[in-house]
Amino acid sequence: MTDVILEKVGKTYPNGYHAIPSVDLSIEEGEFIVLVGPSGCGKSTLLRMVAGLESISTGELRIRGERMNDKEPAERDIAMVFQNYALYPHMTVYNNMAYGLKNRGVPKDKIEEKVTDVAQMLGLTELLLRRPGQLSGGQRQRVAMGRAMVRDPKVFLFDEPLSNLDAKLRVQMRVEIRQLQRKLATTTLYVTHDQVEAMTLADRLVVLNKGKAEQIGTPMELYNTPATPFVAAFIGSPSMNLIEATLGDKGIELPDGLILPMEVSHAHRGAIVWGIRPEHLVVVSEQEADFALNVQAVESLGAETLIHGVVGREPMVVRLSGPHLPEINSTLWLSAPKQHWHLFDANTQQRLSL
Amino acid sequence: MTVTFPQKGLPWLLLLPQLAVTAIFFLWPAEQALEQAFYQEDAFGLSREFVGLDNFMDLFTDPLYYQSMLTTLVFSFSVAIGGMAVALLLAVMADRIIRGKLAYQTLLIWPYAVAPALAGVLWWILFDPSMGPIALWLDNIGINWNHYLDGNQAMILVVIAATWKQISYNFLFFLAGLQAVPRSLIEAAAIDGASPFKRFWTIVFPLLSPTTFFLLVVNLVYAFFETFGVIDATTKGGPGQSTTTLVYKVFDDGFVGLDLGGSAAQSVVLMGIVGLMTVIQFRYIERKVQYS
Amino acid sequence: MIENRPWLTFVSHATLIVGIGLVALPVWMALVASTHPASAFGVGHIPLWFGDAGAETWGSVLFEKAGNGVDTPVFWMMLNSLIMALGITFGKIAISLLSAYAIVFFRFPFRNLCFWIIFMTLMLPVEVRIVPTYEVIANLDLLNSYTGLTLPLIASATATFLFRQCFLSIPGELVEAARIDGAGPWRFFFDILLPLSRTNIAALFVILFIYGWNQYLWPLLITTDDAYYTLVMSIKRMLSVTDGDIAWNQIMATTLLAMLPPVAVVIGMQKLFVKGLVDSEK
Repeated sequence: MTDVILEKVGKTYPNGYHAIPSVDLSIEEGEFIVLVGPSGCGKSTLLRMVAGLESISTGELRIRGERMNDKEPAERDIAMVFQNYALYPHMTVYNNMAYGLKNRGVPKDKIEEKVTDVAQMLGLTELLLRRPGQLSGGQRQRVAMGRAMVRDPKVFLFDEPLSNLDAKLRVQMRVEIRQLQRKLATTTLYVTHDQVEAMTLADRLVVLNKGKAEQIGTPMELYNTPATPFVAAFIGSPSMNLIEATLGDKGIELPDGLILPMEVSHAHRGAIVWGIRPEHLVVVSEQEADFALNVQAVESLGAETLIHGVVGREPMVVRLSGPHLPEINSTLWLSAPKQHWHLFDANTQQRLSL
Repeated sequence: MTVTFPQKGLPWLLLLPQLAVTAIFFLWPAEQALEQAFYQEDAFGLSREFVGLDNFMDLFTDPLYYQSMLTTLVFSFSVAIGGMAVALLLAVMADRIIRGKLAYQTLLIWPYAVAPALAGVLWWILFDPSMGPIALWLDNIGINWNHYLDGNQAMILVVIAATWKQISYNFLFFLAGLQAVPRSLIEAAAIDGASPFKRFWTIVFPLLSPTTFFLLVVNLVYAFFETFGVIDATTKGGPGQSTTTLVYKVFDDGFVGLDLGGSAAQSVVLMGIVGLMTVIQFRYIERKVQYS
Repeated sequence: MIENRPWLTFVSHATLIVGIGLVALPVWMALVASTHPASAFGVGHIPLWFGDAGAETWGSVLFEKAGNGVDTPVFWMMLNSLIMALGITFGKIAISLLSAYAIVFFRFPFRNLCFWIIFMTLMLPVEVRIVPTYEVIANLDLLNSYTGLTLPLIASATATFLFRQCFLSIPGELVEAARIDGAGPWRFFFDILLPLSRTNIAALFVILFIYGWNQYLWPLLITTDDAYYTLVMSIKRMLSVTDGDIAWNQIMATTLLAMLPPVAVVIGMQKLFVKGLVDSEK
């Protein structure tokens, strides 16, 4: 069943700034959707429009079929976890979690039952009488989630909830959030700028760029068939190697006169962007090679090695498993298997099929 | 960006009490003063006639007004500089002390809470020519003290009383300023061989200059407007006009002399001065905000 | 300090002690003077040590009449002062909280104009518009009334700015969380904003109480009826008797009683007082 629908939703600020032209998205019940993109791409704005904290300029938002555009945040039956947690500093953990229920006139014993339950689930039972100032970052994060959970909302909204935690805690909380969401099966909209977080959490991802949804799909769809060079570069770490090239009769003509031969079956000719992921490049003998990489820097990570170099003048990264120690300025012969190529029209920025 | 509530009528309701009080007790009287300044009214308030700028002309050709301006300047700068000098000395000493700082602070800040009029009375009795211990002591060492007759002595009395009350304020701000001076700077100067005295004048005092300037403005505003009680309770502007500050003159001409037009014209001039000082104060504070 | 110089430390203590002595001198004198009968004055000196008429003077001043032409007892005037001080304090805090709330958390036309109108009160202290303000009060029939003593003084740009600053420092996310939790403007004001402004309100309370208690010119202008005299202004009335007849012991006892409450507040709530002083100058 479709739970949340964004239909041609757009945002224009009073000063005329066109933050979001138009986004279409429909979210299934219980689905975990991650909005991801660089800072300033409009992902937080979009989330806040769903929350009712920003007005919707154009289009329509529906939750369970009901139009929400003009509803107050409190009437939308959503709950939100904020980047800085936004816990009420003068209230105890218990009261922080109970406040929303109190305002809705839920009877006292019911509130207590609910808060105790959720506290139990999140391991907050011992902390119920403390104030936020006496909690660690991870504990505050849990309280913020608890506050959202006690209400049993139709939709959870997360606004970069992990960005204030240290790296280790971030990984731990990421796993916890995923497990909780599976368990509660509540529809979730989650905003982050971290593509690893996005890939690991999402059922489906929305990659936003300058207020536009570049692509919507499962993590693997985005990884395997990115729709635009932007998505290709954004998803995956290290980023996909992207080179501006020309599609000629003989194949792909790279800037330095290098030609990657291919049978050009379709009509498209001219400026393209050619891409291959660092992990798909293969070290081969000189005879089998498509091109030579001049090694510039080597990052040894133990389990894998990242080799930075140039092909002609174009920078390129290769990712090899296990330890490798090529010398700086030495030559590495590489093959780029055709099944891993990504081609994009340089003008329309759209993906081309091979 | 602050988050706001969407209600449109409510903010007006919230602002209503403040705006009403401001309109009735501030703007209306100010407007009245402005209007009155252009009229000549008889002492019984029965009739008045429009006289244009005459009240202002009278004011600016009146040597007494210029004298009052001079009195105000002498009084204000004496109070500001005297109070700041004493407070700075005490603050520097208190800053040096490790134990008992808070006790000293407590014993120094309470005069802030004393009403100016009461401060005036307290010092009056010490300087009373016929029985005040300080006046009698001054007589003994050959200074004939009588602030009822001697304008300069009357001025000294009101300056002392007004300064006394303000020392606590200056002390607190200087002490805070001193404690904000980075220790590492002083230590660096000490390693460079500067004596404590030299360190103060070459490092600490220059770093205190924002505090000093801020206090100068605040003290001048205080001396201008808040010392009415000191003067009214002790010298009543006398002897002669020797302690009649501009603010005291507005009161004296309006209520005692019943020269309403003249008093209103003075009010208008004073409003201009306050406006100017407020702007200076805010300009400066804005700059301070940008620093931090 | 950096180096250990015992004589410098000694000088510091000595200077501070002398300073404290000088600052306390007039109060000491007043205290001594209040313990002598009126006849002890005017004979060429003031007694320098305590006399034995203290209880009598203080008792009569407090409960019978302040003397020197003021027939109201000090305790009554203290009550008036307290009403005025608390009226001004609560009034200022209440209307400034509301105005700051409106200015920070709502968007409406002429918002900036309202802000500037409130700002203008800074430029119009009572002292510079004495006569017309008196006339306004007289027109409104507020002479000799508690309303007249408090209401005209409760507009406050300083308090409004202070609360505005305080509100602006509250993170926007907190407001949003409250909205999602179903808190409307009033609930937000009472449940979140007021508790979060507690210390600011308390600090301002101390400063405003002193301000209100120490009002002098205003009560002097608008009260002619003894029943409404406040303590600080009554000194002026007491001093207005002809010179030779001043009963200094009564005046000194009244003066000390008049400064006691605000001084006690400053010393008892020193931390809040210092915070209030620093905040209200920002």
